[in-house]
Amino acid sequence: MEHTEHSIDPVQEQQEHIQRRTVLQAAIGVGVGLSVLSTLYVGVGFIPKVVVTPEKEPVKAGDILVWAQGAKAGQEITPADLQAALKSDPPFIIAYPKNPENNVVKNQLATNTIMVMQLEPSSLSPETAKYAAQGIVAYSAICKHLGCTISQWKNNVWHCPCHGGEYDPRQGAKVVAGPVPGPVPQLPIKLEGNRIVATAGFLFKPGADV
Amino acid sequence: MYKWLDERLDLQRLNSKLFRKAFPVHHTFFLGEITLFAFVVLVLTGVFLTLNYEPSIREVTTPDGQKLPAAYASILYIDSLPFGAVIRSLHHWSAHIMIAAAFLHMIRIHLSGAYKKPRELNWLVGIGLLVLAIVTAFTGYALPFDNYAITATKIGYEIGAAAPWVGGLLVNILFAGEFSNTNTQMIPRLFSIHVLWLPLTLIALIGLHLLIMVKQKHTQPKYAERVSPGKILGVPALPSQGIMAGILFLVYVAVTTLIAGIFLAHPVQAYGPPTANTPAVKPDWYFLWIYGILQMIPSNWKFELLGATFGPQFWGGIFVPTLIILGAAAIPFIDAQPHKQRYLELPSQHPGRTSFVIGMLMFYIMATLAGYKIDLNLPNALLWVLVLFVPILTGVVAYVILRAFYGKAPQEPQVGGLQGSAADD
Ligand code: FES
Repeated sequence: MEHTEHSIDPVQEQQEHIQRRTVLQAAIGVGVGLSVLSTLYVGVGFIPKVVVTPEKEPVKAGDILVWAQGAKAGQEITPADLQAALKSDPPFIIAYPKNPENNVVKNQLATNTIMVMQLEPSSLSPETAKYAAQGIVAYSAICKHLGCTISQWKNNVWHCPCHGGEYDPRQGAKVVAGPVPGPVPQLPIKLEGNRIVATAGFLFKPGADV
Repeated sequence: MYKWLDERLDLQRLNSKLFRKAFPVHHTFFLGEITLFAFVVLVLTGVFLTLNYEPSIREVTTPDGQKLPAAYASILYIDSLPFGAVIRSLHHWSAHIMIAAAFLHMIRIHLSGAYKKPRELNWLVGIGLLVLAIVTAFTGYALPFDNYAITATKIGYEIGAAAPWVGGLLVNILFAGEFSNTNTQMIPRLFSIHVLWLPLTLIALIGLHLLIMVKQKHTQPKYAERVSPGKILGVPALPSQGIMAGILFLVYVAVTTLIAGIFLAHPVQAYGPPTANTPAVKPDWYFLWIYGILQMIPSNWKFELLGATFGPQFWGGIFVPTLIILGAAAIPFIDAQPHKQRYLELPSQHPGRTSFVIGMLMFYIMATLAGYKIDLNLPNALLWVLVLFVPILTGVVAYVILRAFYGKAPQEPQVGGLQGSAADD
């Protein structure tokens, strides 16, 4: 019976095996898990960091509306400009907000693109008139459908050339045609001398409604 | 020299194993090859373009004193190089041809029943390739950075963003943040995806597609069953098939270069660098049907569910295309059979399937017509009738006609005749 004394108990041997296996399995599991996690962490780099520069701040109360493009780009829009625009096509002006404190034109945020237009004051709905000044209205120019700049005037309303969305700027940009899911937000403004000044940010969220 | 290589690479075996493979001949079997040629030309012209293109929107001053975004200016520079404009056009037209040829190739497979067991897998790979080719073309849209390209890409961006739950993340990764003319990271990101990641994926999938085809053998045309039933019919891959393909490739390059020389694609000067004025954009023909459907969806089709918005953009831009892709992928599993398909089927003998394909083509044409809604002043109700009922009607009419013409003909005239004469004897 010398033999049995020296040999390891088979049950005990199996238990040791199981322990070793669990430890190894746990080690592999942790290793794989950490690798996956760190790979995912690399994936975070796919989404760029958003740095809000002064040019990218959203429009807010006190901002002055300036020409977005053309020969006068960057200059303040005056009521006389809007009157003159009525005779051109389109009869409105695309504007960006300018921060009066640092004179920075906030043109690097797409949703800061604004339509300004002089309308007949009596044609405005009461709700729209509340945020207008002497018939001058301002709205976000980014179509609620798929984000084009609504830059045309057709059928006596505001027309988006991308899929034919139409908005009536006299009635809070109510959608009158096309696949557009809702109106664009109005920008409350007032006149300060010859300047058109925002009295608040957009009434609700601008940009495509997706 | 040959002996030296043969001793090391066993060329003889490679030759007899792979290059002597029989490849059946039929004119419609070249559609897949044309797709491949277009891809090869796209890679070659693309390499040329990357060498001179600057993926950046930094402001540069051109020799004549204009201040332009660098990407836009580098397109003008490419156009000024010897044959530069032709090569850029060749790249553009080849993208169209690749998608068109892949689409026709798919219709050929569908009409002849080549998707059936055991080739279901390659049908799926093929659908993946077509979708990927279209996505690759889309990521190239914005690179010239002119007003037209930017407007078109912006629409695509917002459609991507309309995907429920994952849309925001998806477009953030694809476009490196918010879509904007001033987002400096967007063009480099799209550039890398367009010239590196998607082409690599395409090459891998094309390899898989061909490998499966070689492994499973090309389907035999119907005539092979009559000429030599039970045998593989075709010409050896090398030299015969290779010479045919080589000639076809040269013809392809010659014809497309001629087209590119005559029709300059996408003249960027006509649109100018991006501004706040939206040009009247029309997408390319392979997106026009989605564009049409987007315009038909009523604006009040909208609800929210678990934090995601299901708006008209989702229905037109995501839901309908996804449905069609999934429907296409399901075809070999709906039309399943237990035995392996050896010979192609004649479209005339499968009127149900053939009229379905004709109906789908009509749907594509009608949805494309809807893309001209504003230009033609078409009322929405009419468009809905055209898109929903005309394809069904077309399918039914096609079915009736096919039945009337081929329905009474015996399934296998020749074989039947032979059997008949044998029985008479
Ligand atoms: S983006 Fe304006 S109607 Fe579609």
